[in-house]
Amino acid sequence: MTAADLDWNKITVPVELPEVVDHISYQRVVENAGATWDYFPGHFDPGYAQSQGNPTIYVNTMHLAGFADRVATDWAGPSSRVVRRSMRLAGSVYAGDTMIGRGRAVAKRQDTSVHPPRCLVDIQIEVSNQHGALCCPVELTLQIPESA
Amino acid sequence: MDRDLSYRLTFGTYDDALRLVGATSEPRTAATAVSGARIQLFAAMVHDGNRSYWDAEFARRKWGGLLAPPAMLMGWLIPPPWEPGGRPPAASIALRVPLPGTTFINAANDVEFLAPIIEGDVLTVVEQLVSVSPEKQTRLGVGHFVETLETYRRQDGTMVATCRNTLFRFTPGAAS
Repeated sequence: MTAADLDWNKITVPVELPEVVDHISYQRVVENAGATWDYFPGHFDPGYAQSQGNPTIYVNTMHLAGFADRVATDWAGPSSRVVRRSMRLAGSVYAGDTMIGRGRAVAKRQDTSVHPPRCLVDIQIEVSNQHGALCCPVELTLQIPESA
Repeated sequence: MDRDLSYRLTFGTYDDALRLVGATSEPRTAATAVSGARIQLFAAMVHDGNRSYWDAEFARRKWGGLLAPPAMLMGWLIPPPWEPGGRPPAASIALRVPLPGTTFINAANDVEFLAPIIEGDVLTVVEQLVSVSPEKQTRLGVGHFVETLETYRRQDGTMVATCRNTLFRFTPGAAS
């Protein structure tokens, strides 16, 4: 379910975003290969993943990015757009894990280098697993509409 | 199992790799246009109900068509898992850097989305090898960090995204 659109003028920072929790089954990991055509064997072949030193198959960068984007746009609404995302793959999310996404909007700014100026919100997101390990710290910037 | 075909890495020494730093790939154009079906397959995989991906009328008014999930950017340039007439060359310049490591895992990804990408767009990417680190030991094994810069344009030449990616090319093994 997607929230209604937020108005940039009415956002105060800092503010916590609603937490998003998602259980990642084997099917979900394999769905990713089908959706993105990323058939690197670490994403569908447990034997290959183990040969790399992993316990089993793991989600790819695009899935983690999509989860982070979902944390941001579930909050801001479908008229917002991700204009920048910086993520570090600190630890893997394996089939059977649960991803927990916690976001915090930390700054509001207007980009006046373009016309009309863009209304932006900077968000920090942490994607952790069910053990509390930080798997993926993310810095993300949303462009959000403002009311006329 | 075609893993050897799909992910045939180029092997060599660190010095071989350094000689390629700064190299830029020929432009590669996506095999298929951005499509609503793939947008929704990805959104379904992420469990993302964003109307920009699902509500064609809303998306047409807001973006000019169904919006490609920003997270899917790299996926549009991955060749399909099979094509008539044999496979195209390995997808990314990052995999063709000559190094000793037998496998790889992604380490960092930094993207700017300059303009919305919507259904019907056909993307072309140019990749540049930015840097290759000296040998590093991590919990996964010994290897090198390979940094690339990808520039994505749509069919009218507009630059829609730039992506700086770092992967770790390594040989698995416990710390020595």
